Amino acid sequence: MATATIPAERISAGPKRSPSAKKRRDQLRFLPWVFLAPALVIYSVVVVYPMLFSAYLSFFRWDGVAPKKIFVGFQNYVVLLTHNEVFWIALKNNAIWLIAALLVPTSIGLGLALLLNSRFRGSHIFRSIFYFPAVLSLAVVGLIWTWIYHPDLGLANQLLDALGFKFLERHWLSDPQIAIYPVILAATWNAVGLPMLLFLAGLQTIPSELHEAAKVEGAGRLQRFWYVTFPLLRETTLIVLAITSINALKAYDIVYAMTNGGPANRTQLLSTWMYFLTYNYNEVGLGTAIAVVLFSLTLIFAIPYIRLMTRKV
Amino acid sequence: MSTGAISKNWEPREPGKSASQARRAPQVSAKVAIFYVALILAALIWLTPVITLVLTALKDAGDFAVNGAFSLPKSIRWANFSEAWQTGVGNYFWNSVIVTGIKVPIGILIEAMAAFALTHMHFRWANKVFVYVLVGLIVPMQMTLVPLTLLMNALNLIDTLTGLIILYIGFGVPFGVLVMRGYFRTLPSAIIEAARIDGCSWFRIFYRIALPLALPAVVSLCILDGVATWNEFILAQIFLRSDELRTLPLGLVQFSTQFSTQYDQLAAAVLISVAPVMLVFLLFQRYFVAGMGGAVK
Repeated sequence: MATATIPAERISAGPKRSPSAKKRRDQLRFLPWVFLAPALVIYSVVVVYPMLFSAYLSFFRWDGVAPKKIFVGFQNYVVLLTHNEVFWIALKNNAIWLIAALLVPTSIGLGLALLLNSRFRGSHIFRSIFYFPAVLSLAVVGLIWTWIYHPDLGLANQLLDALGFKFLERHWLSDPQIAIYPVILAATWNAVGLPMLLFLAGLQTIPSELHEAAKVEGAGRLQRFWYVTFPLLRETTLIVLAITSINALKAYDIVYAMTNGGPANRTQLLSTWMYFLTYNYNEVGLGTAIAVVLFSLTLIFAIPYIRLMTRKV
Repeated sequence: MSTGAISKNWEPREPGKSASQARRAPQVSAKVAIFYVALILAALIWLTPVITLVLTALKDAGDFAVNGAFSLPKSIRWANFSEAWQTGVGNYFWNSVIVTGIKVPIGILIEAMAAFALTHMHFRWANKVFVYVLVGLIVPMQMTLVPLTLLMNALNLIDTLTGLIILYIGFGVPFGVLVMRGYFRTLPSAIIEAARIDGCSWFRIFYRIALPLALPAVVSLCILDGVATWNEFILAQIFLRSDELRTLPLGLVQFSTQFSTQYDQLAAAVLISVAPVMLVFLLFQRYFVAGMGGAVK
């Protein structure tokens, strides 16, 4: 872009106008920074600097109050990996959560988008209905689903009772073996809307002529999806998978509202366990080390996304 | 607005198609009926949690204890709402209004300025700065909490709404810049160039030309950002300590541990917190799509 503008400027900048043009160019060199300054300053202070400082703190043993931090190298990470059972529970829960998030809300979202992309009477209402849980806060979603899972009064057990599956009834959120799954189900309810919306936006960019042409060639519904729709949704799919995985790893409020990590720490995630270690046990070094692990995991899924977002510049 | 969009859909869109449908009427209508029944059933199941919430909020505690959540209320009890409002939810509500009302406009202004510089000011570092900002989209909140606690402590901003608003503005920058940049990129640079040639200053171009032209993106961002701010939990949880400053999501979770058995009031409280979001969603839903589209473009 820069190379393209230089000749044009040379032509227009005749001898008479050259000083002002130079002044203008100098002004332009620093003026963008003025426009950027408010956003960049507050973002750097609130997000970037704390992030780097957290990474630094993860190499120290510190309770958050004492004037002296003790440098311990990678010991916090070693402690987490070898002496911290809950860390592994949290990591496993994060993995289950991530796999569930990559498979379930994305497929439901794609299915709904395909279904609701065609215009029929009331398609807008159905779009709104299926998107709606996505606008609720995760704390609220957690509270609502906590009632559903209530052992006596909750809908889940009442429904099982009514359908004659009494033997399936559980104390959903206080059974250490299974408690994480009901939480994930609640989160899924909230997580379907975004993929659906993104897939709908993606589907709208596919020209209908392609489908018509495939139809003329005798392609069935399934073939048209597989050979026309799906390849053209590749980029959307990539974005959906990236955003869902990033969001899955960020999960926090819903666990806090539903189980607070319990019973017996069986529903801890890296994010909630970080909070416990830092703010309840004053283990700042261990807490920040977990945050670094969490960030590194997120980065794996985010790199393709960031590359995609910046490629088209 | 939504009802308008719906009623438009009730009229046949493609006369050619409806004619061909008429020819095979009986078979098609059976198919259509099954399709609608299946879809309506799915929608009802999907909304069960919300329906349960509304039903619980409308009945009294005894009714709930005897008949459970998923039964029609014996008599509608509006007092649940006023009682919840008086036990603190009203206070949480206004705190959320203050935080969202201050954060969103300031945030959008600085995000739009930054995005404008990145797209139309022939800025050599534009791409690098954009990547730097994008990183913020993926940073887990946990990665910033400890240093932020130290920082806020040093600035005496712990347990103040001002402090929380500053944090929200900072964390909002990446998404806001992403959306606004996506939109500004579609503005033809010829408009900006023309204004330059007429001697318009960059600030004037931004304020008088670019920003008004980007109104759809601004509205989308207002809504998405407003909902996100309204719903934010973790920063509020860490940085607000006293009960009278709590925002809604935080207040509700506290409320639920405090009044864990009063489901009727709790449900009413949740409904109060959801109502504004629901309203905004129903009125402006097309902007959700537009905003997300801008983020992806």
